[in-house]
Amino acid sequence: MSQIQRFAVVGEGDPETLLAAVAERTGLVPTGEVAARRIFLDTADGRVRKAGGCLEMRSPVRGRQAPTLVWSSVETGETLGTVDLARDADPPRWVEDLPDSPVRDRLAPLLEMRVLLPQAEVMSRLTMLAERDDEGKTTARLVLDDSTLLGSATLPPVVEVLPVRGYEKDATRLAGFLAAQVILEPVDGPLVDLAREALDAPAYLSSKLKLVLDPDVTAEEAWREVLSVLASTMAANLEGTRDDTDSEFLHDYRVAVRRTRSVLQEGRGVLPDEARARWRQEFKWLGDITTPTRDADVHLLDLPALVATLPAERAADLEPLHDLLVAHQQRCHDELVEALDSERAAALVASWDRFLTEPWTDAGTDASRPAPEVAAERLAKAWKRVVRDGRRIGDDSPAELLHDLRKDAKRLRYLLECFGSLLDREVAPLAVKALKGLQDCLGEFQDTEVQADALGHFGDALVARGDTPAATLLAMGGVVEHLGERGRRARQQFAGRFAAFDHPDTRRVFRRLIDVSEGTDG
Amino acid sequence: MKILATYNIKGGVGKTAAAVNLAHQASLEGHRVLVWDLDPQGAATFYFRVKPKVKGGGEALVRGRRELDRAVKGTDFDNLDLVPADFSYRNLDLLLDEAKKPLGRLGKLLAPMKSDYDIVVLDCPPSISLASEAVFRAANALIVPIIPTTLSARTFDQLDGFVNEHPEVVKKLKIMGFFSMVDARKSLHREMVEELRAQRPGLLETPIPSATDVERMGVHRAPVAAYAPTSRAAKAYAALWSEITDRL
Repeated sequence: MSQIQRFAVVGEGDPETLLAAVAERTGLVPTGEVAARRIFLDTADGRVRKAGGCLEMRSPVRGRQAPTLVWSSVETGETLGTVDLARDADPPRWVEDLPDSPVRDRLAPLLEMRVLLPQAEVMSRLTMLAERDDEGKTTARLVLDDSTLLGSATLPPVVEVLPVRGYEKDATRLAGFLAAQVILEPVDGPLVDLAREALDAPAYLSSKLKLVLDPDVTAEEAWREVLSVLASTMAANLEGTRDDTDSEFLHDYRVAVRRTRSVLQEGRGVLPDEARARWRQEFKWLGDITTPTRDADVHLLDLPALVATLPAERAADLEPLHDLLVAHQQRCHDELVEALDSERAAALVASWDRFLTEPWTDAGTDASRPAPEVAAERLAKAWKRVVRDGRRIGDDSPAELLHDLRKDAKRLRYLLECFGSLLDREVAPLAVKALKGLQDCLGEFQDTEVQADALGHFGDALVARGDTPAATLLAMGGVVEHLGERGRRARQQFAGRFAAFDHPDTRRVFRRLIDVSEGTDG
Repeated sequence: MKILATYNIKGGVGKTAAAVNLAHQASLEGHRVLVWDLDPQGAATFYFRVKPKVKGGGEALVRGRRELDRAVKGTDFDNLDLVPADFSYRNLDLLLDEAKKPLGRLGKLLAPMKSDYDIVVLDCPPSISLASEAVFRAANALIVPIIPTTLSARTFDQLDGFVNEHPEVVKKLKIMGFFSMVDARKSLHREMVEELRAQRPGLLETPIPSATDVERMGVHRAPVAAYAPTSRAAKAYAALWSEITDRL
């Protein structure tokens, strides 16, 4: 299906006169006019927009009609779904806030655990026209979107030509006619993009590190840049973490902290020794204070999947556990906020920012070396450690060895993500991909163990309360058994996953990346 | 993706009205719906104001020279698309007969659309033929309108008999019969509904009334709920759809 075409009315152009002229010349017929308040919604990381969609809560200005959630395709203009909301409904935050419907089912995997946040609010007058063939069938649509942005910024009126599937030529012809009008100029994105731009809204957050480092810089410059980007990520996710907007703010905050710790760890000889030791300690503290809340978030996020392992009629038995987890998460989060608001945290952020901008007078001897050379050395070491330790693990090895290997693999992954662009930009993603399979297996093995252990503690807490039904404890026992089974499966898969990572093809990828000319076999 | 087919060996029992109105109702509830008008008469195509023409005709589709996707037309309703009828569908039996694995052909054509649509409604011509067997193989459920008359009930029994005798063709096909064009003022209709319900407890509960609003579909060229949303007929189709989704 062809693309929607958008034009902004520029200068003193009068959109009404334009529409009348277009209608007269092309035979378009008016099909309706709507005055509506529209609140554009998306997650903090722009999941709807990145998936090519636009989500808005549309409330008619006149009449008592209830608001509707409209999900449309940015590319084709097609309506992907509409959901009627309650008359006095607030904009939905969680996908669960939406009425039960196929649209909710389709949105759920896209939004997952993220909340919808208002991106912009406009008052719109939408004038719709249609082109029809001799059967009276609509073959193309035209919409004049005259919107006022709430706030001080202004938006131009926008004319959209929407194709109808199977009749794309008609929309193309209509768009060609509009393109020739002097008061129109093409615009790329949908109204929500224009509104966000006018509001100077920050870019959507991204949990992926999009670092492209200049290979001509020194190690100090590269380390400084990576740490600065990670500091920005922490800052961007701090408010959402503090407000507990959704669990991903804390998750992304913690990932940035962990990456920072890894980069500091691998910064021996690049950063000043004393400062490096102090920052490592401080960021360890920052990581540690966030751990209980993240663990509590994970328990809550995983609960629906755990409930699903029980027979449907037993699902309600886990409700006391759910209530306990909610209260536990709340307590952990309160403590986290207290720690984040402490003098130590404030001092850390302020002095870290200073450290990243001020010159490092006592930097190490590697600081002035070419960044790719130093990055390759550190990467080689981290990779060899994973290979060496992984090869030592047999079917009977204790779980601790796998947990340690998981940490090593994580460090290697962070190095690849942070410094991969200094090396071979085409090969670095292949190395990440090769590592991912091993990490998934190690993660599953550890997570199931940690979860089963935590459920044991929560079970004790529920028993201590004295009023927990036996059915709840039995259901938790069932879940623990299921986790045990998953963990055993992951343990069995380890040998195969490690063999794939230790495969000659993967070794070639790493060698090419780190350019180990002596041909060390890991 | 669930594939439903409105089907009856007999003509004039309300198959196309059911296909169009149930598909429209499903789209109103937020499902992404495709109607494929397999009847060369093209009544569903007419109701959606689309020209009954598929480039290359049924032959191009069946022989795989043209993807079904390229034949799809957007209707004037959100989330509701149509593969129009083509007069060449009158030879669908012959075309299928010449194709490899003819019974699996329709399912194979629809398979690539699995991620685009939640519901596919096949509006079938009245007959039992190779084309119908291909429909039976592709569909998850047959939605069978029954006018409460002896003759209509007999054709339902014929269909039931065929399905029972050919498990290899129908596999997991569900048969959902419902009363169509019911005129509650006629004592014959009332008696037949009662009698047939007693004999066939699996029939759907909601009857579709014989209503002027349904007949006016040809004038409005649109589903009933688009021009008479509060009418008895529109409500009946909505209730029938709800019953069907419960059984899918």
